[in-house]
Formats: sequence, C-alpha cells, structure tokens
Amino acid sequence: MTPRANVHHAMSAPRTAAVMALCVVTSLAITSCDKSISITEVGAPLQPSNVDAGAGAWRMIVMTGPDQVAVPAPTAATSDTYLAEVAAVKSAQANMTDAQRRALSVWSAGGVLHWNEIERGLVARYNLPPAPRADGTYPVPDAENPFGDPQFPFANPPYASRAYSYVSVAQYEALKAAWYWKYKYNRPSPARVDASVTTLVPAGDLPGYPSEDAVLSGVTAEMLKSLFPGALEEITKAAAEQRDAAVLSGRATASDVAAGLALGKAVATLVLARAANDGMKAAVGTPALWQSQAAAATARGEIAWASQESPARPGMLANFGQVKAWTMTPAEVVAAEPLAPPSTSSQQMKDDLAEVKSTVTNLTREQEAIALKWNDGVGTPTPPGHWNAIASDYVRSAQMSEVRAARAFALLNMAMHDVAVGCWDTKYRYYNPRPAQLDPSIKTFIGLPNFPSYPSGHSTFSSAAATTLGYLFPDGATSFNSMAAEAGMSRLYGGIHYRSDITGGSEHGKRVGAAVVSYARADGAF
Amino acid sequence: MRPLAPSFSQARAPSRHAITVSTLGVLALLSIATPAAAQTLEDAEMLQPREMHTTAMFGRDTWDQYWEGALKRTNGNIGTVTTRTITGTVAYGFSSKLTVLASLPYITTEASQGVLHGESGRQDLTVMAKYRVINAMIAGRARLKLLAVGGAGIPTADYTPDFLPMSIGLHSRSLTGRAALHLQDRTGWFVDGYGQRVWRSNVTLDRSTYFTDGQFVASNEVLMPDVADYRATIGFQNTRWCIPVGLTEQRTLGGGDIRRQDMPFVSNRMDFTMGHAEVMYFLPRVAGLRLDLGAMHTLRGRNVGQSTTIMTGLTYALHL
Repeated sequence: MTPRANVHHAMSAPRTAAVMALCVVTSLAITSCDKSISITEVGAPLQPSNVDAGAGAWRMIVMTGPDQVAVPAPTAATSDTYLAEVAAVKSAQANMTDAQRRALSVWSAGGVLHWNEIERGLVARYNLPPAPRADGTYPVPDAENPFGDPQFPFANPPYASRAYSYVSVAQYEALKAAWYWKYKYNRPSPARVDASVTTLVPAGDLPGYPSEDAVLSGVTAEMLKSLFPGALEEITKAAAEQRDAAVLSGRATASDVAAGLALGKAVATLVLARAANDGMKAAVGTPALWQSQAAAATARGEIAWASQESPARPGMLANFGQVKAWTMTPAEVVAAEPLAPPSTSSQQMKDDLAEVKSTVTNLTREQEAIALKWNDGVGTPTPPGHWNAIASDYVRSAQMSEVRAARAFALLNMAMHDVAVGCWDTKYRYYNPRPAQLDPSIKTFIGLPNFPSYPSGHSTFSSAAATTLGYLFPDGATSFNSMAAEAGMSRLYGGIHYRSDITGGSEHGKRVGAAVVSYARADGAF
Repeated sequence: MRPLAPSFSQARAPSRHAITVSTLGVLALLSIATPAAAQTLEDAEMLQPREMHTTAMFGRDTWDQYWEGALKRTNGNIGTVTTRTITGTVAYGFSSKLTVLASLPYITTEASQGVLHGESGRQDLTVMAKYRVINAMIAGRARLKLLAVGGAGIPTADYTPDFLPMSIGLHSRSLTGRAALHLQDRTGWFVDGYGQRVWRSNVTLDRSTYFTDGQFVASNEVLMPDVADYRATIGFQNTRWCIPVGLTEQRTLGGGDIRRQDMPFVSNRMDFTMGHAEVMYFLPRVAGLRLDLGAMHTLRGRNVGQSTTIMTGLTYALHL
C-alpha cells in the first residue's frame, strides 16, 4: 500500500479506534520489513559483444601514439615462468575468500563503470564549500593540506567536470595503448592457455598481456589520487582489489598485471603533465580579477552580480573560463558561447524576473520534484556526475568492451568540460545578477549558486551531454533531450535562473556537443 | 492533563552557495520522535469513559544557533529559523483504562536571512493509545500508575523532507512503544517519566543518489534510524492547576552528522536534551475549558537547532 492510500483509508474510518488500529497495523507492516538499501549500482558480468580488436589504432588525445609508453615483450605462454604464473592463478582461485568473491562480482561488471561510480562518490564527498572564517573571509582549499578545514578539493561543478574528463581521457588513452600491445604480442589469457583455469567471468578472445584491469587500476588510481589526494587510502585499496580480481577471474597472470599496472601509471603521468599546465591553478582568480569583472559589467551600464551569501563569498572559480579545453581551441570555445544576456534594465529582463517570481511562489509538487531531482548541489556528484550516472545505464546495457566504454565516458566528459569552460567564461564576462539579487522578495527552493547567472550551467552541461550521448546511443536521443530540457527548467522552478539563462545555456551546450560529435566521428572507432 | 510536548528542531546547515539551511520544523522533529506531543500524549493522565477533549495548540519555535555535528554555530544564510505550528488534537476515553488521541499539526517555516523560501503544510497524523496497566495506592498516601502506550505516525501530505531545515517534517512513517510511570502524592506533588522507542520507516527522495554518513548511496531510498526518547517530570497539580517541569532526551539510534558547512539531511543523527515547563489552568467560569502555556529550550544537541519554543493551547472537555 502506498502511504497515501493508507491515509485515505484511515481518514474515512468512522471511529478513532478504527483509525488507530489501522495506523498501528500499517506502521507495523511498514516498519517491520527489511530496511536495508542496496547502495551501489550492480550489473551482470560484462560480456562485450565486440572486443574492439582495432582499438589500438583509434585516435589518441594526449599521447602521441599507442606505443608512446613501451611495454616489454612477455614471456611465451609455453614458458615455465608463465606456466608457474598460471598455476598461481589456479591456486588463488582455490582459496578465494567471500570478500574476494564479492569484489570479483563488482569489478567483473565493468572496470570503467565501477571506477566511474567510485569517482561520483568522491565528487559527492568533496563537494562542500569552505566554511567562512571568523573574520568573514573564506579559506581556499589547499592541495598540500587535503585533510584540513577546508578539505581539498571543493569538488564544485567546474572542478568536477574537469576531474571527470581527466579520469575518462586517461582511462581511454591507457586502454587504447593496452589494446595496441595486447594485439601486438597476442599472449592469450590464462583461461585460454590452460582449460583447468576456472573462468569466473565470461571468457573473451581478448589477449591477456598486458591486463586491461591492471591498466585501469593503475591509470585511474594515479589520476584520482592527484584529484582527490585526501582519499588516497580508499583509492589505493580499490585499485589493488581490481588487480586481485583480474587474477582471480582467470583472465590475468602476475606478469599480465605487472605490465598493465606499469602501463597505466605511465599513461597517467603523461596526462597529469597536461593537467599541471591547463590553467586550473589560476582558476580561483584574484581579488583584482574579481573587481575588474564586476567593474566591466558596471561600466556597460549593467547591474553587476553580487554574492548573496553571508558573509559574501567570492564567485566560484572566476577564472575557470581560461582553462584549456579538450576538443576546442580557445577561439573555438569563445565562438561557441551564447550571445549577451538581456540587459538588466531591459523589459525582457523585467519579464524574465516576473516569471521567476511567479513560478517559484506557485510551485506544484511536480515542479518541486523536478527541482530536487536535478538540484545536484552540495554533497552530490554535480550535474556532470548526474549525466555520468545516466550514461552508465546505457553503457552497461550496451555491453561495451572496456575500451569502448572508456571512449563513451571520455567523449561525454570532454564535452561537459569544454562546455564548462565556455559557460564559466560567459558567466564572468557578463557578470549577470541572479533573480534573488534583482528582487530580494524571490526566495529559492534550492541552493542559490554563488556565481553569475547567465547562462545556466545545468543547461549547458545537460545539452552538451545529451547531444554527445545521443550520438553514442541513438536510441536514447529523445530521452536524453527531454532530460536535458527538464534539467534546464528545474533551475527556473528552483528560482535561481531566468528563462533566458536556460535558453542561452541550452544553445551553447548543443554547439559544444556538436563539436565533440564531429571530433568523435573522426576518431577511427567506427 | 499535562501538556505540551516538546518540539524540536533540527539543524540545518548551509549549502554550497548561499543556502542554507536550517531546519526542520522543530515540531516536525519532535512530533515524529514523540508522537502526539501536545496535551495528554506525554502524560500519564487518563480520560473518563466517553469523555472527549479537543485541543487547539499554537507553537512558535525559533533558533539562531545549531549544532553542525558537535560544532555549535550560527549561519548568516538562514539567520533565525522560525517554525509556527497549529496542532489540533482529539482525545477520547474508551474506558477508564484506555484513552486514544489523534493529533495533526499544520506547520510553517521561515528563515530570517538568506534566500531560502519557507515551507508550509499539513504534517503527520499521530494516533496514540494509552493503556493503564497498573493503578495502585501505595501505603495509603500515594498513587502509582503504569501505562503502556502505543502510537503511530503517518504523513498526511506529500511534502518533501529533502529541503532541510525548511522542510516541515521528515516524511517517515513511525510506530512508537512507550512505558510510562506516574507517582502522585495525596497533596498533589507528582513525579513521572517514560522511555520510548520510535521505529521509523525509510523515506523516499525525489533524487536518485545522496551522500550521508560517509557513504555515497545510489538510491532514492534513505534508511531512517530509529529513535529513543526519555522524559522525566516533576510537578504539582490540583483541581485548578497542573504545573510540570522536566527534561526530555532524544537519542537517534544511528545516522550521520552534518558535515562542516554541509546541508542537514533527513537521516542525520538528531539528538538533544531539552528542558520544559508548562502551566495548565482550568478556567473557573467555564466548565471544561483549560488553558495551557508552555515553554521549552534545547540545552544541548547534535544536528539540531538550539530551539526555544513557546506554546499556547486551549482544551475543551465534554462527555459524549
């Protein structure tokens, strides 16, 4: 029974005793059942329909080529050394613990998918703004002191969009390299060499050396430790668990794992070198920059954005618009940006403002639910994380090879990073005030983001994501577009964005999504 | 008949952006923790057979400090959170041993600073049955009563619990079991107390993931920890007055803390100790009419607001 049904029954009962009896019985039924909740995404063991044997030739993004990191030739599958490794696999399988079985079941559903879920959890944990100091100023998170107050990082939407993109791109590069070496050396997986090795995950035709699971563990752990240094312990443990599962599954030996781990770590080093010089270190901006941004808006005759927090907080990552994009040059980033918002003194802005007020003061329960569904605020994986979760369902259903799954997430997250760069550049160029600043009688139903209004970040992220995912999963295109539209409107329902913010953001997202799709069409994966 | 129940507030914290939060309705919390807070729900009094009481209670609860986990703080993004409550309660004596009460509050929340908008609406219906197990004279000069009390709470509206501290409640269904003792001297002095456990159903959010208690959860369902409450009161009553003073303690049996600068969450470990005093006065010129005044203050807490509550109520008693 639904709660609503219970209440209706109870209220129609003629006597208090009957009401009470029904309530008690109902509550007993409700509270006596199992309250446990399944907290992780689960899937069946991955069984790719296509191993993508040619992935070693797909276009590289950061690396100069698939062989930029050399992987030494393995010992022969007939050698005593290798056969001893196979015997060790069998021995490990014979002594599996329950914890190892659980780990194997989690990782065998897809390493790219599981790491994506782990990363969304890290973003949610670190998506907390610094608390103000007693003097009303705010400390800046310090990568050298990740355990302090504030913790590092503050994984806000721009930070998260960049983090998701770096992890996905690094995984994609490393797996393409792994595929290259796998097919260059063609050493089969142990289960194919020795029929007495138990295949605890579906046996594929993918060569075993180097192990793709170990590549993923190495590259992902290095990227995540750099992005979320305070979570080093759990990241390291997860990576070790994945390598352990690779051996227990019967598809990797010790030398497959060792070569994979080394390759993954080496690729991470190359990608992290790009990250160190992509402009992120300057993304917070400086007091001089913040002042000049506000002054520029005022000089144009506009009302400049002002923080509505108490105490006032500097705008979030005011210089993130200068961070390097993945698929676009700086000029292309600017070219894709939306045109100027309506002037703060225009009739259109007055109309937009009136619409926000009337919407948020007359919210239906359905609109509330939409606002909350897409809130993606503090303590969540952010809008980019929300779209990674949406993509995960499609990637899982499609039973993609690990390298093709990595491509899907790389394209999605490059699109969301690139649109975040343009969105933040636009926000701080126009420095447009939020509805609650122009009309303090507007009260919001969700948290008011602490940065300029135009365009809507949710709309830019969502439209770019929907466009990219529509290319990857054409059957879902209609659904992605309606989700993106709903995500955009959720900000109007929440009282934090004008309709013109949503329109401008949506158009921006579609242009950047289209740029990433044309990039994808030329990457050799089809 | 004794009155007022404490209400409680919860804490909320601010959010990333300006937000912040604050609280839930104070009453909201308490009503869940101690169903039927108002009126006779808290006490050991029994109605006469076929006697009915109807009560209207008005409450105003405010707090400007709250506990973010163990850290007590203010938050400029909410300022002072005020929760106003109007509660209607009906109690009926089925027999000298069984009294049943039903109570339904209408709640309005408001923050004095920041941009978050207040919420309002009907909250949860609480039904409680008090059964007198023992009613004995001791040494000819004091009366001892032992009560077994059972209650249930069910949300009556589709409000969201995911907008704390502005949400009007936690939207969990609950079942309460309580044992209460009451010892009263012939001169009118009394002491009483109870211990109770509140079993709470899981709640469903409008979003598909959340993070709480150090855990990222890929579900829209939130496990709600159960709650234990303890109450001790001392007081005096005669035919005209009843004046109880006491302490109430709530312990949530699980749940996480509000993290530094985070928003509060529906399943947070909300604990508090509250002092309360009430005065009930039976109006001399109008038969069956009773005036109640009460005040409560949170002395210490965790993941709740340090609330101060003032309540006023009018009860009319009649025989059917």
